[in-house]
Amino acid sequence: MSGQLLSRWLLLGEWRARRLQLLVAIIAIMLGVALGFSIHLINTAAVNEFSAASKSLTGMSDLTVVAAQPTFDERRFPEILQQPEVAQASPMLEIMAGVLGFQETLRNPELKIIGLDVFRAAAITPDLLGIPAEDSQFDTLSEDGIFLSPAAMEWLAVQQGDQLTLTLGAKQVTLRVAGGLVRAPSGQRVGVMDIGAAQWHFDHVGWLSRIELKLHSGANLATFKAKLASQLGDGFLLVEGTNQDARVHNLSRAYRVNLNILALVALFTGAFLVFASQVLATVRRRAQIALLRVLGMTRQQVLRQLLLEGGLLGTIGALLGLILGYALAAIGLHFYGADLGAGFFAGLTPSLHFSPMAAGFYFVAGVGVTLLGSLLPAWEATRTQPAVALKSGSEHEALAVLRFPWLAGGCLLLAAIFVRLPPVGELPIFGYLAVALLLIGGVALLPWLAGAFFGRLSKRYERHPKGAVRTLVLARLSNASGLAAIALGGILASFSLMVAMAIMVMSFRLSVEDWLTHVLPADIYVRTVIRQDARGFTPEEQQLITSVAGIERIDLMRSQSVLLDPDRPMITLIARPIDAHQPANTLPMTDAVLPPQALPKNAMPIWVSEAMVDLYQFTVGREVRLPLGDSTQIFMVAGVWRDYGRQFGAIQMQLADYRRLTGDRHIGDAAIWVKDGVDVNEIVKNLRALPFGENLKISPRNEIREISLALFDRSFAVTYLLELIAVGVGLLGVAASFSAQALTRIKEFGMLCHIGLTRQQIRRMLIVEGGLLTGFGIIIGFVLGVAISLILVFVINPQSFRWTMQLHLPWSWLAIMAFAMLTAAILSVYQASKPAISRDAVRAVKEDW
Amino acid sequence: MNTIPILELCNISKAYASRKVLSDLSFTLAAGEYVAVMGDSGVGKSTLLNLIAGLDEADSGKIFVNGQILAAGDEVAATELRRKYFGFIFQAFHILPHLTLLQNVSLPLLLNDMPLDRTAAMLAAVGLGDRGHAFPYQLSGGELQRVAIARALVHRPRLILADEPTGNLDPDTAQEILQLIRAEVKANGASAILVTHSHAAAATADKVLTLTGNGLTETRR
Amino acid sequence: MRLLMLLVFLLTGNLLLAAERSFETVTPGYEMVFPQDFGAHPDFRIEWWYATGWLQTTEGQQLGFQITFFRIATNAEKSNPSRFAPGQLIIAHAALSDPALDSLLHDQRIRREGFDLVYARTGNTDVKLDDWLLKRETDGRYQTFVQATDFALELAFSPTQPLLLQGEQGFSRKGPKMEQASYYYSEPHLQVTGTITRNGKPIAVTGTAWLDHEWSSELLDPNAAGWDWVGANLDDGGALMAFQIRSKDGAKVWAHAVWRDANGRMTAFAPEDVHFQPQRRWRSPHTQAEYPVAMTIKTGETTWQLIPLMDDQELDSRASIGAVYWEGAVTLRRDNQPAGRGYLELTGYVQPLSTGGNDD
Repeated sequence: MSGQLLSRWLLLGEWRARRLQLLVAIIAIMLGVALGFSIHLINTAAVNEFSAASKSLTGMSDLTVVAAQPTFDERRFPEILQQPEVAQASPMLEIMAGVLGFQETLRNPELKIIGLDVFRAAAITPDLLGIPAEDSQFDTLSEDGIFLSPAAMEWLAVQQGDQLTLTLGAKQVTLRVAGGLVRAPSGQRVGVMDIGAAQWHFDHVGWLSRIELKLHSGANLATFKAKLASQLGDGFLLVEGTNQDARVHNLSRAYRVNLNILALVALFTGAFLVFASQVLATVRRRAQIALLRVLGMTRQQVLRQLLLEGGLLGTIGALLGLILGYALAAIGLHFYGADLGAGFFAGLTPSLHFSPMAAGFYFVAGVGVTLLGSLLPAWEATRTQPAVALKSGSEHEALAVLRFPWLAGGCLLLAAIFVRLPPVGELPIFGYLAVALLLIGGVALLPWLAGAFFGRLSKRYERHPKGAVRTLVLARLSNASGLAAIALGGILASFSLMVAMAIMVMSFRLSVEDWLTHVLPADIYVRTVIRQDARGFTPEEQQLITSVAGIERIDLMRSQSVLLDPDRPMITLIARPIDAHQPANTLPMTDAVLPPQALPKNAMPIWVSEAMVDLYQFTVGREVRLPLGDSTQIFMVAGVWRDYGRQFGAIQMQLADYRRLTGDRHIGDAAIWVKDGVDVNEIVKNLRALPFGENLKISPRNEIREISLALFDRSFAVTYLLELIAVGVGLLGVAASFSAQALTRIKEFGMLCHIGLTRQQIRRMLIVEGGLLTGFGIIIGFVLGVAISLILVFVINPQSFRWTMQLHLPWSWLAIMAFAMLTAAILSVYQASKPAISRDAVRAVKEDW
Repeated sequence: MNTIPILELCNISKAYASRKVLSDLSFTLAAGEYVAVMGDSGVGKSTLLNLIAGLDEADSGKIFVNGQILAAGDEVAATELRRKYFGFIFQAFHILPHLTLLQNVSLPLLLNDMPLDRTAAMLAAVGLGDRGHAFPYQLSGGELQRVAIARALVHRPRLILADEPTGNLDPDTAQEILQLIRAEVKANGASAILVTHSHAAAATADKVLTLTGNGLTETRR
Repeated sequence: MRLLMLLVFLLTGNLLLAAERSFETVTPGYEMVFPQDFGAHPDFRIEWWYATGWLQTTEGQQLGFQITFFRIATNAEKSNPSRFAPGQLIIAHAALSDPALDSLLHDQRIRREGFDLVYARTGNTDVKLDDWLLKRETDGRYQTFVQATDFALELAFSPTQPLLLQGEQGFSRKGPKMEQASYYYSEPHLQVTGTITRNGKPIAVTGTAWLDHEWSSELLDPNAAGWDWVGANLDDGGALMAFQIRSKDGAKVWAHAVWRDANGRMTAFAPEDVHFQPQRRWRSPHTQAEYPVAMTIKTGETTWQLIPLMDDQELDSRASIGAVYWEGAVTLRRDNQPAGRGYLELTGYVQPLSTGGNDD
């Protein structure tokens, strides 16, 4: 009872005394929790929507029959249906159709069309059935009717009864919106129509994308799967729900984990800030705590009190953080979509769901780091002899515990080891740990480094002393390095992260720019409204494109998705003419290239992206088989190229080889080199004038380049945001620790006033001190940041996105950042010094706390 | 009346880093006794007080407070003993700046889980009855020390330890404070050890002891 | 008769109206040709093979069964080259009436024709819907197999009598207008052998069945709201078929009956000579509809009493053809003497008639 009262009095007294620092600490925790929580919410929303979408597409199916290639011959359908174990089988055709008129504004304006047999789908995917108008019950069988999910209707701005024109390659299909779907996941854009009509209109007569199977209750799934697999032969894959989940998971995993880690970095920075603020507060209260101990408070009571204060801070900050995080997530989803601009979840508009589990996790994390931040200073506070602590001037002793050269050394050593470790579960866990260890080690090493640096500086200065202010500053910095280091830690953590991210992003961006130059050699690129259109252009249409006047050279390309592993997202197969002797003329090759003479006669060469090497072990010189036409054909990996466009893997092969194997004469893209002296716009005009000109996506090289770089910047928007927040938190930390220190040093300032320093001199002293400290922090932060960027560029990126890049140091940008940081720090010191020097100096001397 | 001495030191020795501060010191303080301890700087006056308060541990010897032994190493027991039997007055006042005077004075009661009804009376007794809700920064040095006296006596401790209580005060105020300490100690039936350099201050005690390298000796007035 | 109207309702959707697919029409004077006319007539809009009958288990238990295959030609464009183009739909119903149970066991399927999985072939009766089938052998015997959710029927029907061509040599009028008609023949007194499987246990059965085959392209009278139909194998070897079409106010729009006696002498009754008189009504707990499950039918001077094997023989086909009807085994009495056994069909007692979707 009275213990609680005492506790409350002390708490309120303390909070009254340092409103600003508490506010900063709360804001730090709040930001950390908010960022982590919001990114988690957005990711969960996206992944949930994505997996709900893929679940609704497969419904209650036990097993899905798909081909490695996008479609397979429908004649396999009766064979599969008549398996004795099969209770229901629902054939489906999935086509990505282009939305005419959207190609200029959207990157890939595609609408997923599912052709299904309502009678057979009813038992497996009831959610995907169309709801026809009251008076036309059998509209689900109609030739021109399409049923759209709510998200698709909204996206296309159509209603029941409206006309909808879709494209497939050079073809246009006009359909009638016949109604909605029984229960489509709210965020998924999909259209459903009769399978017969879909095959017909979308040039896929005779082809299916998949067959969903429901087995008799007694059938053994594993046995049946094995039997069916051997019966269907190569080129077919049998996919279970677990595979789907794995694929969805794989699709965005690296991206999600990266964002989550960044969020945790924000939380970490926040935690450090709380730590610094708690350390300073405790140092300042040493004498008070000692008095309480003398008056009869036990160690446990003191510890409890300090932890209670920290815990309360953490609770308030974490609660506010949850609220802010939810709001941020809602705003982010609203304006940027589920992938925050990165393009992983096209065709989805997810909705936010509050998850108590996740909220609990981030709440506990927020409170936990605050408690941890309070624990060390609290523990130190109870450990001191109260009689000693009661005497003023013993603060520096308190900070002795904060020197952890052994910890710093250990962290840095471990980091060096972790950098060399392989990824865990395809995630660069050790890479991230190494970054964290570098940060912790750097921060822990700071007091020692600062002491050494300023000590040396001060010694050198002692020989040629100039002025009281500078002497005072250097003396303080060299002797009270513990306190200085606390302010420095925040700067170090945020600046080094900023430097690391800037180097990584700039390196990436320049690599992408180089890459774009290499992969976009032609003047004009022509393709269908959507990428990897299932139909593309027929040979006749290709002829029309090729015969447009003014073309010097034209390369035709066919690309399609291929499923090699049901647990992974599909890879992309690109068939195009490739200079077999000098593949680097066509592709952005890495050094791994097989000389043409090393290719066996019976093998077709393929060139694979770096991801194929990591994910499928398609190393140079390896013989592989691909599910293309003749399954006995041997392919040999003839080289590895860099691909920043497709992180799940891509294979390039000669168009002639592809045509020979598959008999598919269609193409989807054309690269056009314009004759000398011919205006690019002239060619564009001529292409537009083709009978199917409206269906063409014509992009001059520069446009693609600009769009790609804009997309790149967009996908890093969140990164920039997080960076800014980390810097903001770091600066808050500087401001908070300087103002806290200024308060703890009021007596010192009062004394200096007494002995004749003017207020301006005291302020200058503080500013020089802050500037020197920040400058030192920036230098160390820069070194640490470069080290972290090396890990990001050479460990984390290749491990999570499976591509390599060249390192670039954006010097001017870094200099600007350093300058901005220094200015901001000095401004915050200036602001923080105000109360310190405005207080009555005489009273400050008398005050013995 | 109680015949057990409130404080008994038996053969106490204490050294800091090979510098002997106290050696084989014995001393008994009877209940209700008010003594002043004088001595040169560095002779160990503060160490003596810290040992008595259980804030520091003797290298050898025993200390009994109200007949109970101050067990070496038992931090919690020492704290509880201190909380209950002792009141402290410091040279630097040590009033918590963010608590009101009433709250400051209530601290020992709260720590001892006692009702707070004596706080106001105690503040009134030291002449600050109408300033209970003021904060320490609104007070002068003499007033702060009055608050400290109230805090030292509010929970009816058996022994007051005062370490240079007037060291930071001007002579007139100092005299006032010393009289107040004496009056309040006596009024509360407590004993007191007053550590001071000032003969004027020492003169307010029942008897004056001088601490030297040879121990405590009574100085005749 | 038989569900004709349900199908008509079904086909009035925009599937019918969307395109102008022309169908063959039913005209008087058509001479049925067998075995071709046992087979399907894909150029007519609708067609069905409808088998009902009484079965007896080896333990003497009486059961009723119904197996129906419908064929519907849709208006899907012939030009759609897809094998999935829904040109013809096959719908099948199967039901089992067991007085020991509270209600009818029944199941239904609907599929589009194609891939040799689902078809109605020409030339002879040969209809299949995945693993459900009805096939007439060259010797005139029918084989049928139905694997429903709760039961399976594997039956063979052997003809014992000549075909019964309904109406005027198979031209059967359904309304006051000449074009409201169908081609219609029946095979009464089919001898049944086979097995019924329930709860995984096969039971051997024998019995007598009645098979109707009817095809048409034309609509019923727009005033029609439902109908009552009965087809019965008489104990003396005779056969009786009677139906009436009711208007929305319950009045008789059209009626017809034919009685072939044991000697094969046919008597046809004009609409004014056929009277259906409800005797007892049963309220369905499933749909709240009231069915006149016990009837008397007057054909000329003769009065037939119809007594249901069990009351709840209601069949909810909203999931396939979009209607709820009563289709049940009945016994016939004439002058209070047992006279035969047959099936009674009562439609249009639940409003609205067509509510359904098209899912399975």
